[in-house]
Amino acid sequence: MTEPATPLQTHGYPAFFRHRELGERVVVTSLEGEWIVLERDEFRAFVGGTVDRGSALHQRLVARNLVREQFDVRRAAQTLQRRKRFLHAGPNLHLVVVTLRCNETCVYCHASRADLDAVHTDMTPQTAEKVVDLILRTTSPHVTIEFQGGEPLVNFPVVRHIVEYALQRNRGLGKQLEFTMVSNLALMDEAKLAWLLEHRVQICTSIDGPPDLHDRQRKLPQASAHAAAVPWIRRINQAYAEAGLDPTLYHVEALLTTTRETLQRWREVVDHYVELGCRALFLRPVDPFGFAERTRRVVEYPRSEYLAYYRQAVDYMIELNRGGVEILERYAAIFLTKILRGDDPNFLDIRSPGGAGIGQLAYDHDGSIYSSDEGRMLGAMGDRTFLLGNVATAGYRDIVGHPTIRAMAIASNLDGQPDCVSCPYLPYCGTQPEHNHKTLGTMMGRMRESSMCAVHKGIQDYLFDKLGTADRETLDVLERWTTIRPREHFLQPPSG
Amino acid sequence: MRLQFHRALYAGSAIDQALQRFAALAHFDRSENATHFVVELRGLVDADGDATRRERRARRIGHALANLALGLTIERGGPDR
Amino acid sequence: MSDTLWGLPAPQIDADLGEAAVTMRLDPTLYPLEVIYAAAYPFIARCWVVLDRDDAGRVSVVLTAKQAATAEQLRALVGEFANELLSSACRREITRQNRALIESVTTQAFGGAMGPPSLEELEAFDFTDEPFDDPLGIAQSWEDKYRKKPRDEGEGEGAP
Repeated sequence: MTEPATPLQTHGYPAFFRHRELGERVVVTSLEGEWIVLERDEFRAFVGGTVDRGSALHQRLVARNLVREQFDVRRAAQTLQRRKRFLHAGPNLHLVVVTLRCNETCVYCHASRADLDAVHTDMTPQTAEKVVDLILRTTSPHVTIEFQGGEPLVNFPVVRHIVEYALQRNRGLGKQLEFTMVSNLALMDEAKLAWLLEHRVQICTSIDGPPDLHDRQRKLPQASAHAAAVPWIRRINQAYAEAGLDPTLYHVEALLTTTRETLQRWREVVDHYVELGCRALFLRPVDPFGFAERTRRVVEYPRSEYLAYYRQAVDYMIELNRGGVEILERYAAIFLTKILRGDDPNFLDIRSPGGAGIGQLAYDHDGSIYSSDEGRMLGAMGDRTFLLGNVATAGYRDIVGHPTIRAMAIASNLDGQPDCVSCPYLPYCGTQPEHNHKTLGTMMGRMRESSMCAVHKGIQDYLFDKLGTADRETLDVLERWTTIRPREHFLQPPSG
Repeated sequence: MRLQFHRALYAGSAIDQALQRFAALAHFDRSENATHFVVELRGLVDADGDATRRERRARRIGHALANLALGLTIERGGPDR
Repeated sequence: MSDTLWGLPAPQIDADLGEAAVTMRLDPTLYPLEVIYAAAYPFIARCWVVLDRDDAGRVSVVLTAKQAATAEQLRALVGEFANELLSSACRREITRQNRALIESVTTQAFGGAMGPPSLEELEAFDFTDEPFDDPLGIAQSWEDKYRKKPRDEGEGEGAP
């Protein structure tokens, strides 16, 4: 016999909260992102307002600002303000595609590259100067210019020109300027390296795993792409050490793209990154941009398989950390920084509203300006939804205040998104309009059908499960992953 | 070919704008009754090809005109007030 | 010709497989017009979309595939449109509830990102444009608003 339904009696005990069941436990978060993991009977007492005011549970709930009668409004407001402080400045990340030419062919990248003879896809110095002029109009005091391609080393003179011109133009503006280059390193030589080191350009590369896996996904004609990259990773790390820089902070950052083949080889991938001296591994799923439908069937996979891979790999990384090896997973670090520190690391794809246009911009070789690199890749595939203008004619405020950017800011505000508004992970999460547009046909998307939502939710389920059940040593590892140590060496010295 | 657009759902100004955009492709008559804006596609500007082919083109132009009229109506926020 | 798409409610949905078209009839008390617009708009890129209204006030949405489509593909199209409708209806309500929060965040984001206009932008600004509709003449000076019109000015025309 079922009992008749009675209205929920909370006795006014809980403050506003959202919750999600995780096995035998329940994650509870507040509007401003305070959180607690409760046993089911504790959760019932919390919701029903029957918590003994003298109990340890009551103290824990008060400490998390989850009890209405002791709700600290000022604290909640300050936390919200801290979480949203990225709102007060304009784009800080500027991706510059100095050429589409690339010496490698990757299975997951078609639209974003051209053959080496396609010199017409090189950015000209004149366009480069206009790009820099626009970048330095940003209201953000911090500016990172990231060189991408294609392969940026193919058009190295323009990389140099941008760095020198930006440094010159920044005199008097006083912005904190950083340069980053994402390169496959196959065209690196000592002269280029010396110049990059002298000008404090941070170097990142792509490593998809051990040699056989990397070389199957990233093809360098008549050579091993892996063998072309790894000696340079070691050489650059050695140069940093010789310059007296702390190797735990200064080393080549490598980026992984997870394809179907990677899923089974998580342990090898982690070991390989550790062996290369990397301290961070970003277990990114392959994104839907830039490759053909035929390729998608080869490299794509259900997100449930990805999440199983993620959990195994991160469990293994935690185990390594407990044994004294320092390696962190980037997604986990981003979410944990928000969860444990109440701060936002301003990762532009995981924030609300998203970073398109108001946090980042991408500049194609011909001066076209896009909301992001993903928007640019869609443009290369013939969908110009996220094209905002061209540096030859557009003004800064035209671009940042572009109707497309306004629509994207509203579309990626999770407070207007069905599903998200009732999800406890809202304070830590984000959605990407370009991804929604590509996979679901609208910038808003529908989160129940979104593979990005499945990934974000799955990772946060995993993390909250750990936070609710793990031992002290594991929690210490997760805490350490939230420690942000700025790489001040890469900040350009202040000038005039 | 006759297209009808309900006055409570479409903006007349959006239909006029769509008709202007398609004027280079086909000849239209526009009228209205109590409930609908009515667009009659009288013929194609380029009358090449056999009847089946012309019919197919006319249908395509009609469909595209309707899409544009709807899109412009939505961008205006609904019917003219 | 009317066909049935298996698994979908016949009173609300008709299909014409020969034309690769489906018609959905929607109750506007469940799906207000702005919700139907929001759901229909992204489909314009993929289908031919026509709206109509019957005497009972129900709105019909006709989606015609741009290429030939199987019953399975049409069923998927209807399903996706129905999901988008529901999502739009839900989003409308959430936006209404959270309007103050969303507007505040959006205003801060654009205020922070755009910053003040530069001198060149101010110089380039066309001040001759009508800045906004001003049917009550609030933005007009008293002299402009109440000065006598010359006899030859047409009826209904306002001050220059």
